Amino acid sequence: MERVIGIISANYETHDLGCLTQERTIASLPYGGRYRLIDFPLSNMVNSGISTVGLITPYKYRSVIDHIGAGKEWQLDRKNGGLFILPGSLFGVTSSEARFMIRDLKHNLIYLKRSMADYVILTASDVVYNMDYRDLLAQHISSGADITMLYSEAVEDAPHDLGLTLDGERVTSFLHGTKKGENIFRGCFVISRELLMNIISWYSSVDFMDIFEAIEPELGKMNVRVFRFGGYIRTVDSIRDYYIHSMELLRSDVRKELFTPLHPIMTKVQDSVPSKYIEGCCVRNSMIPAGCVIRGTVENSILFRGVKVEEGAVVRNSVLMQSCLVEAGAVVENAILDRKNVIKAGTVVKGSPENVFVMEKKTL
Amino acid sequence: MKEKEILAMLLAGGQGSRLGALTKTIAKPAVSFGGKYRIIDFSLSNCANSHIDTVGVLTQYRPYLLNSYIGTGSAWGLDASNGGVSILPPYATESGGEWYQGTADAIYRNLNYINLYDPKYVLILSGDHLYRMNYREMLKCHKENNADLTISVMKVPMEEASRFGIMTTDETGRIVKFSEKPKQPDSDLASMGIYIFNKDVLEKALIEDSTDSSSEHDFGKNIIPKLLAEGKRLFCYEFSGFWMDVGTISSFHETSMGLLEEEPEFDLDDRDFPIFSNENISPPHYIGPEAEIQESIVGNGSEILGKVIHSVISVDSYVGTGALVKDSVLLPGAAVEEGATVNRAILGENSVIRAGAVFGSEDPKEDIAVIGDDFIVEKGGEA
Repeated sequence: MERVIGIISANYETHDLGCLTQERTIASLPYGGRYRLIDFPLSNMVNSGISTVGLITPYKYRSVIDHIGAGKEWQLDRKNGGLFILPGSLFGVTSSEARFMIRDLKHNLIYLKRSMADYVILTASDVVYNMDYRDLLAQHISSGADITMLYSEAVEDAPHDLGLTLDGERVTSFLHGTKKGENIFRGCFVISRELLMNIISWYSSVDFMDIFEAIEPELGKMNVRVFRFGGYIRTVDSIRDYYIHSMELLRSDVRKELFTPLHPIMTKVQDSVPSKYIEGCCVRNSMIPAGCVIRGTVENSILFRGVKVEEGAVVRNSVLMQSCLVEAGAVVENAILDRKNVIKAGTVVKGSPENVFVMEKKTL
Repeated sequence: MKEKEILAMLLAGGQGSRLGALTKTIAKPAVSFGGKYRIIDFSLSNCANSHIDTVGVLTQYRPYLLNSYIGTGSAWGLDASNGGVSILPPYATESGGEWYQGTADAIYRNLNYINLYDPKYVLILSGDHLYRMNYREMLKCHKENNADLTISVMKVPMEEASRFGIMTTDETGRIVKFSEKPKQPDSDLASMGIYIFNKDVLEKALIEDSTDSSSEHDFGKNIIPKLLAEGKRLFCYEFSGFWMDVGTISSFHETSMGLLEEEPEFDLDDRDFPIFSNENISPPHYIGPEAEIQESIVGNGSEILGKVIHSVISVDSYVGTGALVKDSVLLPGAAVEEGATVNRAILGENSVIRAGAVFGSEDPKEDIAVIGDDFIVEKGGEA
């Protein structure tokens, strides 16, 4: 897709992720045992043949830049095109909740101006899916739309997400908040580079708006259409979402679709050793990356690199991020442990499926 | 071009024919080991961890996988702008072309490459050994001895000494005698095939050797005896860590099983001296609801639904429901289908044991069972 460039927006936040995004952005939230959320849109772009990608950085950009570097793992360390860091605008000390802030695009207009591409695909960085954007583009071109938005039916209520009212494939209005079964915008759209630059200039004086907020009154005139994604797709914007969708990765159909070797989700490589299972351990229905050592029991859980579960310890229905240590005899149930937590010997850490226990990242 | 203190020449052209089915389509340095590595990762990582940023890799036997695996060398941090990794296959000149005739001949024919960087010292390595070594320590020893050639050695049991190239030294560590596979060894210091030469000494010896029609152009057989006879300063550098030339199927199996110890002699996990590899990016592995796994290591991308006991499960492998894998090594992409049984076996890359098939024997008197890359064992079929 030489005629397309990408933009990934990472300069926004949601308060419902609580301490998980205290020191990092949504884009760099660890997910699925070895990934960060941004790996999904970024890999989708590259797997769709897009070799020029701009990343609108968030205010707290350290963790995301640390992860992506020069884009080597995504083959974006290129002479022609490649990864472009597009500084996001500041809003006091926090970011806005708007995913596609016009000001962020305006400040990086030169990225669009210098490009020779006909189309731009823009994505959010909190949606988990594996998709070939070529299908989206093909429909966009054949339908003659001004903008084509990616959607699917919401699997549960999403109070913060944009819903779409449709007449056929045409978007007639936006809903602020989406209920289960309604059409939910999945944070990805395609637009011609020229129209995108026009929209930025039209709304340049009110540039603190999200692009969809800006065009909402124009829906009658603009040809805004949709592309339905029928595969597995989830938006992660609350702790509850994070937990439920993480657990869905234990389903074989979800893993097979999300991690198909045909379009692999790429991520920063850490050179960890293969994981080790010591005699006496008991591991069932769990997803475990390299670098773990398991002596105890692990059931229905997702571990990250470097997690150690000692003898007699039990980890159940939980997500344990990088370098957590569960000491001998400790119990962790229905919990999310952020990085480097140590659960002392004999301690019990328990949440319920409805109210998951979350332990924030330990600082060095 | 800026002068280099030292560069490495990595001999990776050997077939490793005693590894049989495992090296049928790939060179020995490209054989997978330890769940996610290839054997050459160890010497390349040693170079990287020793801050040697210029490495010539000499290839000859079935080099395709090796070439594509090494790529730019970036996986080992060896994609330096002045230096980096260079693949050095045999090449033709105006007088024709020939295969490398021996280890010394391979280096001789790449003297141009070495001289491009004008190093003071040349480190010569084998790409098919498993060990962790800081070559800078060896270089320090080489300089302190004011040596012409330093040979890395390790102590071996006296009864096994006749299998190795044995160095006899005086009290200062200077080599006074070298015997290739001696019947009556008088020392237990075995050569590990790791040499540091002063470049000038190496160049002169190789040029002279190249015109000697009786020479086999081999470092052990020809170059070392020649330099000893000339009275050059040859010293030993004694290494005491783990070192293994996995030359045979049984030593490959045994060394792999050694990784499963709680405190293995060869610990792959050392953050101060990491082993790098150029792996595919696969998702975490998955252990199924009815799986059982004990005393094993598992790489990314694998799916384990059956029973795995005391085995190495490399990246992207599969063990189906009701299958049993015991005391075995599954190389990357190997699949053991539903209800199959695998005992004391090595399964080549992307090989398949079909549902219900039985492969390998529990009987320790039997040989380790092996199938090569991409082979399929049907139920009732022989390996």
